[in-house]
Amino acid sequence: MEFCAEPSTLTGPAWWACYLTTPTHFSFYLSFGTVLALILLAVPVILALGFAGAFARRSAFLPLKLVGQAYTSMVRGVPDIVFFMFVPIALDQAFEAIRHVAICPDTGQPIYQGNDFVVCDAAKLPLGDAAQWVHQGYGFLLALIAFAIVFGAFAANTIDGALTAVPKNQLETASAYGMTPRQVLWRVHLPQMWRYALPGLSNLWMILVKATPLLFLLGVEDIVYWAGALGASKTSFYDFPHPDWRIWYFGFLLIFYLGLTWVSEKVFARLNLYFAKGQASHGSRREPVMAQ
Amino acid sequence: MSKTTTKKPDARHANGADGAAPVISLRNIHKAYGNLEVIKGVDVTAHRGDVIALIGSSGSGKSTLLRCANLLEIPQQGDIVFNDEPVAWTGSGHTRKPADMAQVRRIRTNLSMVFQQFNLWAHLTVLQNVIEAPLTVLGRDRGEMEEIGHELLTKVGIGDKADDYPSQLSGGQQQRAAIARALAMEPDAMLFDEPTSALDPELEAEVVRVIKALAKEGRTMIIVTHDMKLARDVAGHLIFLHQGLIEEQGQPNEVFDNPKSKRLQQFLSATAAE
Repeated sequence: MEFCAEPSTLTGPAWWACYLTTPTHFSFYLSFGTVLALILLAVPVILALGFAGAFARRSAFLPLKLVGQAYTSMVRGVPDIVFFMFVPIALDQAFEAIRHVAICPDTGQPIYQGNDFVVCDAAKLPLGDAAQWVHQGYGFLLALIAFAIVFGAFAANTIDGALTAVPKNQLETASAYGMTPRQVLWRVHLPQMWRYALPGLSNLWMILVKATPLLFLLGVEDIVYWAGALGASKTSFYDFPHPDWRIWYFGFLLIFYLGLTWVSEKVFARLNLYFAKGQASHGSRREPVMAQ
Repeated sequence: MSKTTTKKPDARHANGADGAAPVISLRNIHKAYGNLEVIKGVDVTAHRGDVIALIGSSGSGKSTLLRCANLLEIPQQGDIVFNDEPVAWTGSGHTRKPADMAQVRRIRTNLSMVFQQFNLWAHLTVLQNVIEAPLTVLGRDRGEMEEIGHELLTKVGIGDKADDYPSQLSGGQQQRAAIARALAMEPDAMLFDEPTSALDPELEAEVVRVIKALAKEGRTMIIVTHDMKLARDVAGHLIFLHQGLIEEQGQPNEVFDNPKSKRLQQFLSATAAE
């Protein structure tokens, strides 16, 4: 750190070494972790909601079927951005309202006073005196839930379609050999549905990856926030003054996202081969069929 | 009308020559889709060791009848008796269904079906296909089943294909794998639904050879087929279905050489002309 003590005296590689290791730059680097964490944490929740939604829609039990249909068609019918703005605020207010009723002394005041949403300090989420990281974490959690709800609805649609695409004779044969409905589902239906679900799910993954900058809209300090903050021109008032470098910072994000989607394509191509095994179709022609 | 096999000149549903109950007995089966009546009261009984061929033109209801035997189709009327145990029903007409699905599954494990389109599970290798139901449904031991599976595949002549996927096999090989899968269940009877109809003549021959060998072993089989030669060669009893009813039945040679009904005469001359 002594090395970087006097930035104004530095030149060339030394200046760059110190510039790129400032605390704000580390926040920038860490925010890549935030984005990746959002994606990786969202995926299991999205798949869970997707399967729940798909099976609800296919249910013979009418109320469940209606819930499934309402979920998928409502979410799919609303612009994503509207939903991303709406869900975190709605969730936040719902949590706080519940806490207000449970925790706060009865003031006789309604929660909605005109246009204001008022709960007592103890009901605030996070609490007013909470650490900065708690605020960030809470915002991140709300964003995660919003992502999961939106993408879960699309996943439900894809999974529902994939379940339908499995040939009926494959399932009927399993029944004819004495399998219970549960065995048919686990032994034949689910293993065979992946290859039909994969193209849709890989699409969804790409859209999810590309939608992560929406975190910025939700107030989470993500890579877009930091790229903007670091790239803006810095006067000599700063330790490391520089002109407007945002084009370089955003350009770097561009490369980051391209890299991420490129790797994703490779992984999905592999997965596709794995799940297509044996299930003859155009997609599986790439595997070495006809050994003889 | 009584069944006229040489082995069992007794009445349709009576016990066989050895005094045992029929393996499967379909009695007065009626099946309709909406208002379309496909089967209008048909009886078929198979005793242990019987090989019964069901023939008839497309739409005569023969496949549907076979599918009623293991309850893939639910007849609106009539009884299905398996080893003296009648299927229990609930509801009537188009809402009729088996009362006890556990009973249905137990019957199905004893009536292995071979399908026209083979229906091997695409995501499993040939060997996995053969041992899947014995493992998951019958709870058999994997090591033991793998051994039996290899033996059965060798028996049907595709011992070298155990680790291939069905899509890598020819139609004839797939159908023989499907027959091995059926045998792995050690069923009381086997149901064949047009087992050679999706195959060209060359591939058909290899499947016919396997079916003949099974008939010789004394296995109980009901075979729906378009292949008159197969019916004549393997069946001990022949049933000609026409418009949902049994038009004529009896010993295959007798029925083929001396058809009594006009319908069967027309049918046979039409198939012979092919």
